[in-house]
Amino acid sequence: MDFRWDLIWEYAPLFLKGTLVTIGLSVAGIVFGSVLGLFIGLGKMMRKKLWALPFNWYINCFRGTPLMVQILLIHFAVVPVFLGTTNAIVAAILALSLNSAAYVAEIFRAGIQSIDKGQMEAARSLGMTHGQAMRFVILPQAIKRMIPPLGNEFIVLIKDSSLAALIAAPELMYWGRAMQGQYMRPWEPYLTAAVIYLVLTLSLNFLLNRIERRLATE
Amino acid sequence: MKKLKLVSTVLMVAFLLLLSACGTTKTGGEKKTLRVVTDAAYAPFEYQDKGEVVGFDIDFVKAVIKEAGYGVKVEHVGWDPIFVEIEKKTADLAVSSITITPERLESYDFTVPYFLSKNEILVPKGSSIKSAKDLEGKRIAVQNGTTGQTIVEKLFGKNNEKLKKFENNNLAILELKKGGVDAVVADNTVVETYVKNNPKDNFEFIEDDGAFEKEFYGLLLPKGSKLKADLDKAVNKVLDNGTYEKLYEKWFNTKPDIKVLKDQQ
Repeated sequence: MDFRWDLIWEYAPLFLKGTLVTIGLSVAGIVFGSVLGLFIGLGKMMRKKLWALPFNWYINCFRGTPLMVQILLIHFAVVPVFLGTTNAIVAAILALSLNSAAYVAEIFRAGIQSIDKGQMEAARSLGMTHGQAMRFVILPQAIKRMIPPLGNEFIVLIKDSSLAALIAAPELMYWGRAMQGQYMRPWEPYLTAAVIYLVLTLSLNFLLNRIERRLATE
Repeated sequence: MKKLKLVSTVLMVAFLLLLSACGTTKTGGEKKTLRVVTDAAYAPFEYQDKGEVVGFDIDFVKAVIKEAGYGVKVEHVGWDPIFVEIEKKTADLAVSSITITPERLESYDFTVPYFLSKNEILVPKGSSIKSAKDLEGKRIAVQNGTTGQTIVEKLFGKNNEKLKKFENNNLAILELKKGGVDAVVADNTVVETYVKNNPKDNFEFIEDDGAFEKEFYGLLLPKGSKLKADLDKAVNKVLDNGTYEKLYEKWFNTKPDIKVLKDQQ
């Protein structure tokens, strides 16, 4: 099989541009998704069942439908309502954030609920308020446990951002598909995209490992 | 342990049977069955009617292959996989309104042309766009990998910012409907069918024969395919004996210009 490096070279600037957009989409998705996820996770843990219900259903909806459908719906139906026109970047960030928020919420809840009840009781008996106990005792321990599943979620998010190619957001996969469409060759564009995605996820993995080690207590 | 052995033996036998089944479709004597792949999402050329692949292209390819003396099996695989299947020779030929272009001829073979097509511009009624030249500076949507994309890139630069490439024409047209672009460039049949079927959208189509050249569809074959000679002969027969005209009228309600196709050979 002939592998045409010249085609990759020709598309290299576009792959670079696409990679930057992919990183932008992923970072925005991770940041907004985490913030929103924390909020929704807390909402789901509320003691009053009725108040927790909307948060519960938020998670059900976004975790229970394919991201591809969410991206199409948000791009063609939701964003035009607010902006009056479609905007692929806005739609991609919105879909990725809303989707990852549902997963982050559950990770957050699992992290907090995994901390032994005795920790809260001990903190309260020392005279801390519920909020103080959360901030100084429960959360520091919970966050440590949340890092591996959060890392998992972020890696999935980077890979899933490739679905934004569907709505012509000019990210990495979009240029891969454009190159494929032009030359009708599968190996060069998709292998290049795969290698770049691998580099992105491995870098994130490396970063998370360092954070994990820094937070290790033993 | 014994159970495990039994299971693995059964699996092995099943696997071998599967392999040999794959083998027989490829070898066999005179009356071999050709595997035709298509992207059945392009009405009225090829689309799925309750799960069955139908359309003008499908009727046509069946007529041609019958003429050439083979059996035929059509399968919907999607646009990109078509080219992989043909390159890897896991399919014998593909039909999917595939335009014959010099770029594609670098990696594939085509039969003689069997269909004449050209691109048109789809815009909302009352748009300031009246010809291909007016597209300058406008946001345009196309289907990725189509000749519509090639033409727009030739006019306004490759991979320029204002060009959005979508997975298919339906998404591109939806983008126009939602105001994300000012125009869609696509094949005349797609554009005209859409305008006709969706009068409520208030779209109109613009022809520009000066800017948009004639295009010809061909049956896609692997490079150096031995079938080419047989199929070329069969395509010409179908063009000559009236079958083509009959199918064309059935699907498009007009008469084809067979002479243009013949001149192109």
